[in-house]
Amino acid sequence: MTDAPEPAEPSLDIDRHLKYWRMCLQAPLPIHYLSNDGNRMALAYFIINSIAILTPPPLSASSSSSSPNPEQQQPTPPRRKQPLIPPEDRPRLRQWVLSHQQPGGGFASTPTLLFPAAEKGPSSAGWEGETGGAEEGGEEDDREGACAAGLANLAATLFALQLLALLADEGDEAGAFAGVDRARTLRWLRRLQRDDGSFGEVLKRLPRVGWFIGGGYDMRYCYLAASIRWMLRGDVREGEPGWVGDFDTEGLARYISRSQTYDGGFAGSSAEEPHAGYAYCAIGALSLLDRPLHNSTAAYSSAVLHSGIRDVPGLLHWLASRQFIYLEPSTVDDEEEEEDNFLLPQSLADLTLSENGRHVACNGRCNKVADTCYTWWVGAALANLGHRDLLDWTSSRRFLLEKMAHRIGGFGKHPGDPPDVYHACFGLTALAVMGEPGLSEVDSALAVPVSTVRVIEKARAALVERARDERRSLVTGALEMGLAMRGEKPSWLSAVGG
Amino acid sequence: MPSKGKPAKSRASEASKSSPQPTTTTIASATQPPLPPTPPSDDTQTVSDRAKSRSAAARPLDTLLHQKGGALSALSRQDQSAWLAARIASRLAKRPALAASATTTGGGAAVARLSCGGGPKTLKEAWKAVNELSLPLRAVDSTSAAAARKRGYCYRNGEGDLRVKEFEARWEKKLVLSCLAVESRCFRDRRERERRGDREEKTGEQVVVTEHEVFEETRRRREMAALRRELYGGGVGKDGKLATDPEWDDVEPVVLEEPEGALAAIAYPADYAEAMAYLRAVMQAKEYSERCLRLTEHIINMNPSHYTVWLYRAANVFALKVSIPDEIAWLNRVALSNLKNYQIWHHRHLLVENYFPTIASDPATLSTFAAAERSFLQQILSQDTKNYHVWSYRSYLVGKLNLFGDADELAAIEAMIDDDVRNNSAWSHRFFLVFSNPAHASPGFAATEADPKVPAAVVDREVEYAEEKIRLAPQNQSGWNYLRGVLVKGGRKLGSVGEFVVGFVKGLGEGEEAEDVMSTHALDLLAEIYAEKGDKEKADLSLTRLGQKWDRIRVGYWEWRKKCVEAPA
Repeated sequence: MTDAPEPAEPSLDIDRHLKYWRMCLQAPLPIHYLSNDGNRMALAYFIINSIAILTPPPLSASSSSSSPNPEQQQPTPPRRKQPLIPPEDRPRLRQWVLSHQQPGGGFASTPTLLFPAAEKGPSSAGWEGETGGAEEGGEEDDREGACAAGLANLAATLFALQLLALLADEGDEAGAFAGVDRARTLRWLRRLQRDDGSFGEVLKRLPRVGWFIGGGYDMRYCYLAASIRWMLRGDVREGEPGWVGDFDTEGLARYISRSQTYDGGFAGSSAEEPHAGYAYCAIGALSLLDRPLHNSTAAYSSAVLHSGIRDVPGLLHWLASRQFIYLEPSTVDDEEEEEDNFLLPQSLADLTLSENGRHVACNGRCNKVADTCYTWWVGAALANLGHRDLLDWTSSRRFLLEKMAHRIGGFGKHPGDPPDVYHACFGLTALAVMGEPGLSEVDSALAVPVSTVRVIEKARAALVERARDERRSLVTGALEMGLAMRGEKPSWLSAVGG
Repeated sequence: MPSKGKPAKSRASEASKSSPQPTTTTIASATQPPLPPTPPSDDTQTVSDRAKSRSAAARPLDTLLHQKGGALSALSRQDQSAWLAARIASRLAKRPALAASATTTGGGAAVARLSCGGGPKTLKEAWKAVNELSLPLRAVDSTSAAAARKRGYCYRNGEGDLRVKEFEARWEKKLVLSCLAVESRCFRDRRERERRGDREEKTGEQVVVTEHEVFEETRRRREMAALRRELYGGGVGKDGKLATDPEWDDVEPVVLEEPEGALAAIAYPADYAEAMAYLRAVMQAKEYSERCLRLTEHIINMNPSHYTVWLYRAANVFALKVSIPDEIAWLNRVALSNLKNYQIWHHRHLLVENYFPTIASDPATLSTFAAAERSFLQQILSQDTKNYHVWSYRSYLVGKLNLFGDADELAAIEAMIDDDVRNNSAWSHRFFLVFSNPAHASPGFAATEADPKVPAAVVDREVEYAEEKIRLAPQNQSGWNYLRGVLVKGGRKLGSVGEFVVGFVKGLGEGEEAEDVMSTHALDLLAEIYAEKGDKEKADLSLTRLGQKWDRIRVGYWEWRKKCVEAPA
């Protein structure tokens, strides 16, 4: 008998986490979220996505439409008493999301800069940013003016689409994207691409400068662009109704490929320091460029991903290196705040002691500190590369549940920190992507439940179908008009001397 | 004459003013209306109570009836007829036009029938009784008073619960507020006249609003805002910094109203909500002005992370042709107080993009600018040595101003690595400085790609530098990553540093006692060196020992590496 038995594995307290999210859903977020006022769509995604992950559908394994008789299925776990988001609230919440859509395509990231529609009519051309020349230039100029104002934001657009899918009505998954201006959003997306293949997050016309793609060089934008394209574009071929010009996917892949750094990681460009979040984004973006449009949650091998990364072993080495043994900071000497959760052992042999290694944390960069979200960025990046096994999951899971979970629910950024919606969400996605029991299965590339990915597939198909129909009816209309005239010159035309 | 219709008016007001009286049970016999017991002083009585007692005094018979439980039979016969008379008379009194014509028999009869079903005689008697008893008829509109009684009196803002003295003090404040509002109105009128170019009525000179007047008005607005807040509570866009600033008078703030179903609402502080309401208004009006610059500054001080606010600021900077160095100086102050913010660096990037072409042909200005930027970057990095956005900006600046060969830049980075050999941001920047230098690097080569153009001397220097730093901290991965990166870039075999690497690994596979590893990264690189040489056995042993003992958390990774050694892709 050993006198120090191994402590039991911790368990995830789902109700406690739901309690935290209920608070975030139902009460205004406290004032320290003010700095995120410009990212409210992101905050909304963290909240709704986490609730979806914590409340898996009773038959998460199969889609509801293909199970005609639920009674005959094997017994399902008892449904939670009261859904946190009642079905009747969903249309209203989707309406809130849609109210951020911009006339020039894309979604704004916060209602603080939306103008009340009732007072301004359907066009938002009144926004700052010049209209395209003439003052009264008609609808297209209005839309161009709205585009010039630069309110539509790349991240907000992806989060809005994810939210619409997460908030789809049960039984009407195909209607999730109803109201989304697919064509304009895709055209706007194309304009956010720079000549070098990279993307910015906003498009704005600045006085005396002209059109400006704002947002710096940031791998996140490449990922966001690839995701939005996958969610909206569909399989329409050039010349078919509903076709919208694609952005330069090869240019994007080239840009990403060139952003690998000397140590195998990814940065905003190869001139910068690699970062785990950017590595996730680079891998995710490449894999989304040729992700199948249907049944996409089944395993597939992305040719773009494999040809787009110059040094795959280097990348795996760099990702695997993000893990480190988390040592409890000693209370005696913690002068260096920065290093108090990235402690190095006295000698390497210390790491072989059995009590060390119980907790494994991830950092985002070499020699940086532990942070909840990097367990997700690193774990999901490895999952996207088909190498989940390179993460020491047992110890990483213990780190999340024993060191990062807060007693009021949610996860904090650093050990002991109070929870915040960003880290609380990515703590859950990390657990879910590694198959934590009781949670929805999560898609590692799209960061939403697998069931939501299926909603997106249906919603996209419905949008594309609608675009085809609209064009078709226009074409048929013109044809009918031609037939009615039997190719003859109409009499009114002769009358005016034509 | 009793039939005149409005006979009791003056008496009614007298009645309400009459001094406190002991309660009488029979009004008609006592000829004086009853009043409630001695009212409490103004210190204790609330205005609502006072109104109730006044209302009761104006309606003595109703009050009596109420006291007797509401049954008419409980009153004395005299009081019964007095009550009836008062009712009839008060109804007549409410119809002045008809009551005036009630002198004529026909008309009077019609009114009497209309009001109480009786004839002209009844009418006459009613007036007589009312006059004799001095019953108040129209002191308080009885129907609305009844409604008010149900509602607990219609004082707003909780005024009904105030003590009389407090209520009077409140009235005084309202009065002061009204006076200030009149003065404020005068100020606005004067300013409007100034805008129109009007002349003073007396002197004939042009109307000019002086700075002192503006100052006085600002002070007045603050006073008004404070009074309004005290009297009626606060409100966005009504009493904040901007609403009290005469400069913003012409802007109607557009206040955000969150609909039901709004997600991720934030408890916005009043100042912030007000400023955003004004921002919405000016953005919508496409205004570019000095005050807009100040407005963005005001908002950035409260929330430096709102990218739209920064972009709007940039639009103002360009539209107003603000001097870029001035804007950068302002930005430095903001950056130092908001270390973690990255919008600041996007803004700086945008400014430099537009500033650079104007100084590109002037080497002196260019080098002054580069020096000033470096000095600021050093200042901010000394406070936050691994700030990602600062380092990103730094690499951008190096590219933009071609500082690759700049000795100061390399020296600054070496100093940072000397200060903290584990600062991976500084190592990354060094790699970029050395191996993207257009003086000797091939354009368009990836970081992980060998570049034949890089001189051997540069590769030698960098290998030596890395080795020297690794000796200081063998378990610091930054140095090892750098070393490996330099070898690949220089097109050299990893084995070219084999001797150096092997120095960190002793007695590999020679048993627990003999084996000592000073750096897992050395053992990692050693495994690669063995594989490069084709020594699969040694490579496998190195990786096995890493997974078994020296780096067990990555056992999954080391196992994968072993498979790669067995069957290289």
